[in-house]
Amino acid sequence: MTVTETIEEDMFQSDNPITELNRMLVRYDMTRNQSKVYLFLSKVGIKTASEVSKALKIPRTETYHLLSTLQQKGIIFSIFGKPTKFNSVGMEESLEILVNNEKNRISELEMGKDSLIKLWKIIPKYSGNDNEEQNNKFQSLQGRNSILVKLEQMIKESKENILVLGTEIDFKRFYFTEFAELLNKTKSDLKILLDHSGDMPSIFEDIPPKKIKKIDDKNREDFCFIIKDDSEVIFFISNKQVNDMLAVWTDSKTFVTTLRSLFSLMWKKSHYVQETSAESLLGSEITYEHRLREIEQEKIILNYLKENFQLLDSNVGVKK
Amino acid sequence: MSNSNKQKADVKSLKILIVDDNEQITKMLSTFLELKDQECTVANDGKEGLDIIKENRHDVVLLDLAMPEFDGYAVIKDLEENNMLKDRKIIVFTASTITQDELDGLVDRGVHSYILKPIDIDVLLSKIIKAANS
Repeated sequence: MTVTETIEEDMFQSDNPITELNRMLVRYDMTRNQSKVYLFLSKVGIKTASEVSKALKIPRTETYHLLSTLQQKGIIFSIFGKPTKFNSVGMEESLEILVNNEKNRISELEMGKDSLIKLWKIIPKYSGNDNEEQNNKFQSLQGRNSILVKLEQMIKESKENILVLGTEIDFKRFYFTEFAELLNKTKSDLKILLDHSGDMPSIFEDIPPKKIKKIDDKNREDFCFIIKDDSEVIFFISNKQVNDMLAVWTDSKTFVTTLRSLFSLMWKKSHYVQETSAESLLGSEITYEHRLREIEQEKIILNYLKENFQLLDSNVGVKK
Repeated sequence: MSNSNKQKADVKSLKILIVDDNEQITKMLSTFLELKDQECTVANDGKEGLDIIKENRHDVVLLDLAMPEFDGYAVIKDLEENNMLKDRKIIVFTASTITQDELDGLVDRGVHSYILKPIDIDVLLSKIIKAANS
């Protein structure tokens, strides 16, 4: 066995950057095997279908199919000859092609949306049950993408308030997505409760600190949820056994109200991220002078009440 | 009618709402106002205060500015957006450090007037009566 063949065989066998790349490329609408073939050609160079099949231990018929699909995607090309050989387009160009393919697919879906809705409206409703339960819907969401789609929808549709509670680790999963940007742009009243340590860059670093408070409760269980307009909530289900993210969306009034109350309680006893410890001690947003003036006002009213109640008491005494 | 009787008649007719997160102040102030034959309603947070302002007609609303979560500014903004600010007699009642320009800005937007804490209790009452009768 030659050195090259050994490298080729080891490419996908051990924990190396290629394995990680392979996993990441799947996000760009590629299957595991398509990604394997692409990475193999991009690192090893020109090869025949048979050589690819042998090196990657993929059946020959499937290899032909994979090569054909990758050619259609535009990220590998064939070199005329007998037998036909294949090579890949550079990684940067390939990623751009894949992203553009996805963009085109989304714009096609967008364009087709109106026609679909028109067609849907033509078809009469066969069920006569108009009294369908409007609330209490539960939807299970599995995987980052399906959760993200729902979250983005909630943020975009929000008109009143968005309440976010969780840890940095929970939300780190949404790096490189529009999640934080959408939150930043929202015109709704935004409140974020976070276990922000300040030691590492936060996904919410562009959001004004006046909208973020630190969770003080160190003993809390790991829970994470996002409430929209006091009417919908997504709560995340922590499951260390499963790698994929799990969440449940619901518009159940009971659930939303319960989590809303929990959020309000925690918000009330938490402090803003940029608050000094002196400010924390005195209470958020309120300065020392402010407190003094309030106390002075209390004193004035109290003195008045004291004098008047004394008068009342003495009057009662006289009557007796 | 003598001046003191006239003032008493004015006082009796007043419905006052106090929106302040400081429960000590709201309790004592409402006790004081009730002693003076006023009808007093209390809200200890901005959101609750806003709902009461929208649903009811008070002769005067005493509104604190610095409150957690939904503060006095948010109440003013919401009323302004719903074209209700000029329609209600809102008196900003605050201990916050706030500049004269900011106070004038609030009045320009439709807030009736402002009272800065601490204030003598009789002066406060006379300002409330004055606002209600303006």
